[in-house]
Amino acid sequence: MRYFAGLTPRRIAWATGIALVVAALSLLFTDNTYLDLVVSALCMAYTITLLYTVFENMHTVHVRREFLQGLAVVLGSMLGVVLIGIVKGRDLVHMFTERLSGVIFTMSIGIGFGAIVVATALLRERQARESARLHEAEAATQRLEKNVLHARLQLMQAQVEPHFLFNTLANVQHLVETDAPAASRMLESLIQYLRAAMPQMRKDSTDLGREVDMARAFLEIHAIRMGSRLDFAIDVPEPLRRRDFPPMMLISLVENAIKHGADPGCECCTINLRATEEGGRLRVAVSDTGAGIQPKSGSGVGLTNIRERLKALYGSTARLTFQENQPCGVTAAIEIDEAKESGPEPVPAGFATRSGAVGNVL
Amino acid sequence: MKALRAIIADDEPLLRAQLRAKLARLWPELSVVAEMPDGRATEELLAAHQPDLFFLDIHMPGVNGLETARTIAGRAHVVFVTAFDEYAVEAFERGAIDYVLKPFNEQRLAVTVERLKERLKEAPAGIDALVESLVGRLAPAGNGHLKWIKAAVGNNVRLIPVETIAYFQSDDKYTRVVTCEGEALIRKPIKELLEELDPERFWQVHRATIVNVDAIAGVRRGARDQGELALKDRPETLVVSRAFTHLFKQM
Repeated sequence: MRYFAGLTPRRIAWATGIALVVAALSLLFTDNTYLDLVVSALCMAYTITLLYTVFENMHTVHVRREFLQGLAVVLGSMLGVVLIGIVKGRDLVHMFTERLSGVIFTMSIGIGFGAIVVATALLRERQARESARLHEAEAATQRLEKNVLHARLQLMQAQVEPHFLFNTLANVQHLVETDAPAASRMLESLIQYLRAAMPQMRKDSTDLGREVDMARAFLEIHAIRMGSRLDFAIDVPEPLRRRDFPPMMLISLVENAIKHGADPGCECCTINLRATEEGGRLRVAVSDTGAGIQPKSGSGVGLTNIRERLKALYGSTARLTFQENQPCGVTAAIEIDEAKESGPEPVPAGFATRSGAVGNVL
Repeated sequence: MKALRAIIADDEPLLRAQLRAKLARLWPELSVVAEMPDGRATEELLAAHQPDLFFLDIHMPGVNGLETARTIAGRAHVVFVTAFDEYAVEAFERGAIDYVLKPFNEQRLAVTVERLKERLKEAPAGIDALVESLVGRLAPAGNGHLKWIKAAVGNNVRLIPVETIAYFQSDDKYTRVVTCEGEALIRKPIKELLEELDPERFWQVHRATIVNVDAIAGVRRGARDQGELALKDRPETLVVSRAFTHLFKQM
């Protein structure tokens, strides 16, 4: 039954309609009655439609669809003529000998109109595909722009994240009364963090040094807040500090590391921030010795944001990776290769895209 | 007068100490009998000390303030402590529950202490509804689906977020995990993955293939009533077997 897929009422209606029109036109240069012509036209139309449908479903990798469709029109016309003869109760032999010219004439009309209709259908299909592809490309560009804008806005909010700010100030307030030097250090770190964070808002890129300083201030603040439960080390060679690096990504990774690592069950969490360069690839990694990532726990909004921004800025030459550490913990790394940016892949030819439905027009 | 007993919960030791100090000044009759860094020891402490009152930081790692409030379930009064959360504050203003903001403001704390003194004369109010509504708003629910795949790549174990996976395909005894950057092998078979992945985001399109819906760029009819999927970040196409073409039928 699958060979008949596509033989919809719609298609049959089209065939009927065209047949009626062709029959009407034929009135102009034959003597047959309209009814007679309609019968002939319908037989021809249905045979061609049937064969067209069946052949279409038979297409494989080796035989082109267009070839099969053309063949269907020709064969359909030939069979159509035979069908006309049968329906009208003619003597087939007589038809193909005495009245051969009439037969050929009818067949030609069948082929002619059939070809026109099929060609029109194919053309419309191709146009629809093109416009769908265009729409998809536009939509993709818009999505990307929207993502970048959204990310920027989120960044601006995340910069002076209220929880972090008020918790830190609460700590400072306490320390001011009990341990003034510690309060002073914490305030210094907070000021440095805010200074580093503020200008970042407007730029698309900053340098790694700045991001690392911000991360250091952040870690220092948390180290005081968490006491002996947090330890950290930063290893970023001087030359790498001057490299371009997207803002507000490193701090996100550090924040996650503290969250994963700060599970109270763990006695002490050590966070390592390392930057290396190998073979043109800049790699900035944040490792923790915490409980690790559970397969069912969310990846968090921050990580999706980082991935999308990396893709928008660098295409396929940058990535965010995660690895399990031995014996415990996770290493999250941002890697940026030297290579040129590449844009998103275009949709290959012949595919209907999700944004627009491209059905068969017949 | 019976001594009033309180327990303070906050993951930051400095802040616990600070609240303790301020309460000692403002409410000398209150005795802070214990502190906890998270809600894990709630039952134990309830049994050991029978406190009248808990001060709960909402955002604690492990068992947070809201979950702790659920555990307490009316056996003691509860005061939430929060650094900043507009939703929480709004809910608190409406509900019959007290809250304290960090950094601690002495005047505000004094007002809360007065109110608590009154409240403690009665039994603890039922705050279940309020807690549930806060839980919904403050904690994004993990819905039990797989979010990460752990795959061995060389000597390392890589953690791959599922949203970056284009498709899974079974390959002999293993399953290939294919992302835009490359692929990895895991042992988990397609059948098990189907049970654990979010069915709205991951569709089985073939006996041997599960595809990430977001990774699909387009679909077309293939040979013999099957379908072919084009993917956004991968050059290859995937076969949709007849049993699954219904997923892509146009309406």
